[in-house]
Amino acid sequence: MSINRRDLLIGTAAVAAGASVSLPFFKLQYNTVRRPARSRVAVLREESYSHGIGETLFAGLQLFPLDVRGKNIIVKPNLVDYIAGAAINTDPLLVVAAAECFRRLGAKQVIVAEGPGHQRDTQLVLSESGYAPILRDNRIRFVDLNRDELIQVDLRASYTGMKRLWLPKTVMQADFLVSMPKVKTHHWSGVTLSMKNMFGVVPGSRYGWPKNILHWNGIQQSILDICATVPVHFVIADAVMAMEGNGPLNGTPRWLRSIVLADDLVAADATCARLMGMDPSRIVHIHEASKFLGNSCAKLIDQVGEAVRSPGTPFQVVPEFEFLRHWPSSPWTESSPDELAYQCKDK
Amino acid sequence: MTTSDVLVQDLRVLLAQKQLPGGGWAALSSSSQPALEPTTLACIAFGPEFQSVHDRATQFLLRIQNSNGSWPVFLGDNQEGSWVTSLACIALHDRIEAIPEQLKGFAWLMDSAGEESHWLWKWKFRTTDRHVRFDPDKFGWPWVPHTNSWVVPTAFSILALNRRCACGPDAGSSRVELGIAMLLDRACPGGGWNAGNGVVYGVALAPHPDDSAIALLALTQRRQEPTAQVSLDWLERVAPTLSAPWSLAWSILALAAHGRPVEFLVQLLSSFLDLEQIEDNSTLAVACLALEYQRSLAAFGVTA
Repeated sequence: MSINRRDLLIGTAAVAAGASVSLPFFKLQYNTVRRPARSRVAVLREESYSHGIGETLFAGLQLFPLDVRGKNIIVKPNLVDYIAGAAINTDPLLVVAAAECFRRLGAKQVIVAEGPGHQRDTQLVLSESGYAPILRDNRIRFVDLNRDELIQVDLRASYTGMKRLWLPKTVMQADFLVSMPKVKTHHWSGVTLSMKNMFGVVPGSRYGWPKNILHWNGIQQSILDICATVPVHFVIADAVMAMEGNGPLNGTPRWLRSIVLADDLVAADATCARLMGMDPSRIVHIHEASKFLGNSCAKLIDQVGEAVRSPGTPFQVVPEFEFLRHWPSSPWTESSPDELAYQCKDK
Repeated sequence: MTTSDVLVQDLRVLLAQKQLPGGGWAALSSSSQPALEPTTLACIAFGPEFQSVHDRATQFLLRIQNSNGSWPVFLGDNQEGSWVTSLACIALHDRIEAIPEQLKGFAWLMDSAGEESHWLWKWKFRTTDRHVRFDPDKFGWPWVPHTNSWVVPTAFSILALNRRCACGPDAGSSRVELGIAMLLDRACPGGGWNAGNGVVYGVALAPHPDDSAIALLALTQRRQEPTAQVSLDWLERVAPTLSAPWSLAWSILALAAHGRPVEFLVQLLSSFLDLEQIEDNSTLAVACLALEYQRSLAAFGVTA
């Protein structure tokens, strides 16, 4: 085989392009390792959204040694936009149930806070998605993170190279931050779970709608930088009605009939990915975060709720993320071959 | 005096109370961080006839302009510039003493463009990144530098540059034309505008009332365009169903700018405007603008 000068040039360009994409992930890009020795996850069975969801949630929270007495708690749902009939937002009944549970557990104050990523009219999203009346009836304060007072924060990881971000004071000064994602597929990042949900804390007034700067700096990288910097203490993931296909807005509703609780957002997302029939080790931000933020290896996660298996048919995804679905169905407590090759290998 | 006249007075009193000592307004009542969007909108809502409040707001705007001619999103933000520069130029339009600052602002706007205008990104969007449907030759303005063009910052920039272009033909006209082309290119298939593209992954996105209204304000010189007409029809259908004052207020301004009837929408806005409940100062200011839409359209340089 002969290689001419043109082939060599193209080959060199291809290697350079490949290196520029992959090198960032070979360099150590986090400041501190905050991964706990073990993580705890509970998968709760819940058939539908009803007023009984609060009791299910309260019983689930008892499985964790939580002490929220006297704390200011921020509950951060996934409230993106509204499309009639589409399961795009964390259900408001679950959000209010979470607020009530934390009040029962002795929290000083519970605030629901979100900065919708697509819609500038937060009040319209709140009213059209059913949040406004239920928050008002339950006397729960809402803070619009797109317009909250901002403080400049040094990022604790450097995947994007952004160094610092302006972030809402309400979030950065919270005693206890709860990420409440809607379990969905995502056409740019594969999935949107508790980690991707934290995009909502980035203020639209400063960075725009949508938060395009995060896209330009790499969605997976931005997720990692934000989650390394904003301390999330607990996860309550809405997987009662999830979304598959062309998420996060135009996918298809899919019943999972589950609520996932976790004291570690990486463990939460790895578990949600398994519930969706996906291999968490192939999702870039979960894979990377398991090196320093939390545990994705099933062996390092104490499962304290119901044993739930991954579905017979994995979630549909857009073609670019088809590779996420190749993990064959198996009990969720097992790790995939890819996972065994990284986080679990030394355990 | 009509109900809406009384409400406008109440709104102005409330807004004046919320003006911070430095002359600006915070985005939320609970904050003390002066921000540009509520300040510029309040400044337009008051107008020079409310001299004391307007003077303090003007001085605040002049004081915090960046050295490159742009304005930051809030006091303390970095010096690179942002989307609110166009709003600051509109807010300062009637102030003769602010002409040098306005000219610097216009110059910054002329240099600012969505990143898709760069040849490399044009090539990317034409070849490898085809999931979003748009023509990268038609670009407008970004929210922040080094990102794509989006509907709202483009529409506000067109409105600002139109005021400059009103003084006579200049280089601003070609950017305005390009911005208008971008808006027309990125409309949703059924009319109206989402935040940016109208189609992603082959799926038509739903239009947003406020984004659509602001885009239509910028298209008053193109009201015969089929895209503008379809979008106006859509907004006219949706406006009476809106449950939030921000979107309804922008809809009133846009529909009035295109000669559509809005009196019943003004009454609707008056009826559900609960001043005690609105924490967002930009919403208070836009509501004020909508209730006095004829005067406000003139401030935006728009003739109905």
